[in-house]
Amino acid sequence: MVKFSSVALAVLVAGFSGGAFAQDKPTLTIYTYDGFASEWGPGVPLKDGFEATCNCTVNFVAADSSIGTLRKVQLEGDTTEADMILGLDTAIAGEARATGLFADHGLDLGHLALPTTWTDAQFVPFDYSHFAFMHDTNTMPVPPTSFEELIALDDDIKIAIQDPRSATPGLGLLVWIKAAYGDRAPEIWAGLKPHILTITREWSESYALFLEGEADMVLSYTTSPAYHIFDQDDHTIKAAMFTEGHFPQIEVAGILKSSDQQELARDFLAFLTSVEGQKAIPTTNWMFPVVDLGVDLDASFQGLPQPEKTLVLDEAEITANSAAWIDEMLAAVQ
Amino acid sequence: MLTLPHRPLRIAAATALTLLIAALIAAVLWAILDAATDAASGSRVDIPHLLRMTSLQAGLTMVLSLLVGTALAWALNRLRFFGRDLVVGLFAAAIVTPGMVVAFGLLSIWGRNGWINQATESLFGIRFDSPAYGLSGILLAHVVLDGAFAARILLARLDSIPQNRLKVGQSLGLSAWQRFVLIDWPALRGSLPGLGAIIFLLAFTSFPIVLLLGGGPANQTLEVAIYTAVRLDFDLVGAVRLALTQIAVCSIVILLASAFTPVPSALSRSAQPSWRDAAPVRVLQWLVLVIGTIGFALPLLSVLYDGLASGLLRVLGQASFWRATLTSLVIGASSALVTLALALILSLGRSAAHLPAARTLLGVPAYAYLAVPAVVLSLGFFLLVRALGVPGGMAAPVVVIFANSLLSLPFAIATLGPPLDAILRSRGKLIRSLGLSGWRQFAAIEYPLIGRDIGLMLALAFCFSLGDLGVIALFGTQDFQTLPLLMYRALGSYKSNDAAAIAALLLIFTIAAFVGLPRLLERIAHAPRR
Repeated sequence: MVKFSSVALAVLVAGFSGGAFAQDKPTLTIYTYDGFASEWGPGVPLKDGFEATCNCTVNFVAADSSIGTLRKVQLEGDTTEADMILGLDTAIAGEARATGLFADHGLDLGHLALPTTWTDAQFVPFDYSHFAFMHDTNTMPVPPTSFEELIALDDDIKIAIQDPRSATPGLGLLVWIKAAYGDRAPEIWAGLKPHILTITREWSESYALFLEGEADMVLSYTTSPAYHIFDQDDHTIKAAMFTEGHFPQIEVAGILKSSDQQELARDFLAFLTSVEGQKAIPTTNWMFPVVDLGVDLDASFQGLPQPEKTLVLDEAEITANSAAWIDEMLAAVQ
Repeated sequence: MLTLPHRPLRIAAATALTLLIAALIAAVLWAILDAATDAASGSRVDIPHLLRMTSLQAGLTMVLSLLVGTALAWALNRLRFFGRDLVVGLFAAAIVTPGMVVAFGLLSIWGRNGWINQATESLFGIRFDSPAYGLSGILLAHVVLDGAFAARILLARLDSIPQNRLKVGQSLGLSAWQRFVLIDWPALRGSLPGLGAIIFLLAFTSFPIVLLLGGGPANQTLEVAIYTAVRLDFDLVGAVRLALTQIAVCSIVILLASAFTPVPSALSRSAQPSWRDAAPVRVLQWLVLVIGTIGFALPLLSVLYDGLASGLLRVLGQASFWRATLTSLVIGASSALVTLALALILSLGRSAAHLPAARTLLGVPAYAYLAVPAVVLSLGFFLLVRALGVPGGMAAPVVVIFANSLLSLPFAIATLGPPLDAILRSRGKLIRSLGLSGWRQFAAIEYPLIGRDIGLMLALAFCFSLGDLGVIALFGTQDFQTLPLLMYRALGSYKSNDAAAIAALLLIFTIAAFVGLPRLLERIAHAPRR
């Protein structure tokens, strides 16, 4: 009798703790920018895909911008709930790394297919695209093929760009011009000045100006046309290819040292860079995947023209000089 | 002045609230300084240049908006026509619509590829330089937002001129100009300083419109520099320093506006006007109205047109849209009620105060939100909530409601303050001789007379809250999403049709609230007496 009751008790306790364990699935909290976490973004399929195997809950927390995610973690310090930041790009990675908040990912990323080889110990890339100016073939059948050609166009031709202080493509353009022209950058900016319709805070505002026909060209990505092909079979919006070459935006994710879910976070990054995870990216974030998806890459991406030359600039140089370059640019267009 | 009833409780409550708001702002700044690790690189901003540019822009915006607002209020007060309420509602809706929506509406009319340019090109083959960019673009957008708001507030003052005064004026045979100077102007004067200050501060701290239409760094505001310090440089000490600069400049404007003693204006809404101005003047009034409508209503109509034509059905079919609508309506209604409580405490206290210094002091907290940069406020709230150990997700709705209430406060007080002052000045003697208690004074005299103003104020606060992004960004998660946030997220995901549809629906909610709420509240306030 005693034996029976103790067995029953043991079963009961086991059942309870098992039940409690199932309730208490570990949570992986990921800070990201709001476009990624929105219902149209890659967050939804990635969460579903990873939760199917991880016995965990994925919780995306959206900040208003990608730099906002980093600032939020910095403000929260050791008490942050975030296990991982997702959505920084290569132009701000240096500054993020300097905070010392990020742990090594320890993953073998040999299978990646990027325009440049990837050797970063902390950050894992999950999508990329090159910065480029969009044009509408109805209103501008023949686009300029370089910054210098753009500058030489009639002053009536207007471009919409983004502020490097608030939008990552804005910072990207700054670095792009610097990588292409070095010390001649201020001269290029001064040449662009009469063509700048306006400098917006966010990418979305510039892009809306372009779609409304207010701006003839807009700073965006070589993959932007894929959205219009995919959504409306609209082939009129194209990226202008510049002979100087293009600077890429590579979006990255990194695990925070303060996280108590290191292993789970690593598993998520492995899933994010797997073929299955990568399939979720192109038609939700409108960027190229970082692995070769072959025929699984949506048709809207297949024929997109790609730059012949990918420009590179050392991360340390960007981090050390970006503030001065911003001042230089502001002075030139003021 | 001596006829004011003695109301120490009202003054004490208003003083306590004033101190509380001051303490909150101090706590916000302290929380940011506390979080700042070590002093980063010095500020890279040319502050004197920014201050000069911003003051010029804000000053021009204020003068133009008041001029345009007065002209429109004058024309609308005189004219009666089918759809007048809708026009009034549309005008008032401008200021509470998210700035970005108005700016894009403006561009579809005045832009390089706008309706006007398209029309002149197809008719005469000419394209003109769009006025919608640079300083002229900023002014155009601000005047559309603020001038229409000024018109709405000033119209309420004109509509409340008592019938008997109009009858006397009419029997004296006043000309249209004399009528304006002798009858209208005294009613308007009391509202102008407060309105002017609000418009100046709105323009001074304007952020997205300045960045969208300003054409570049030459026309930027101090608020942009603060955003840069917080976001890009992570120079929190610098951000607080810039914020204090902005607060100092704004305080000068605020003190000037609050020190101004409002001129008593009469109450009660006049019936249909029996006094028409001479025919040539009426032509001028129609002209003002038509130009105003083209300038003000067309951009908003284009927002409706774009939104309803494109992604409406798709948006209406999304569960997230309905969730966001529900969230926005609850937040809007809650913050409207909180605003009403705050505004009544402050306005009742201020109207009961004898000393000019006390009146000035109690006028200041109304403008707190306008003077403190939004990015600083949002950051400070975020840090305070964390310091209190409250999870961000739980605190978010409370903080958003409270911040939205502070945002609407200046508009609420501009709406409720002048009529409450007028009541005490015209009926103070009566209240004293009847020996009414403070509560009876409110229930029997003040509330019935300001019912319509309360309705207008609730509509304002509700719509502000509906359209505001403000502090939500740092707190935002997927679960807590308002309509404007959903709109921006759609825009950021290439879904510009969905964004246009959400913008149109936001505008419809706003106009409905503006047309409906004042009528509803007037009915409720007058119900017991009928």
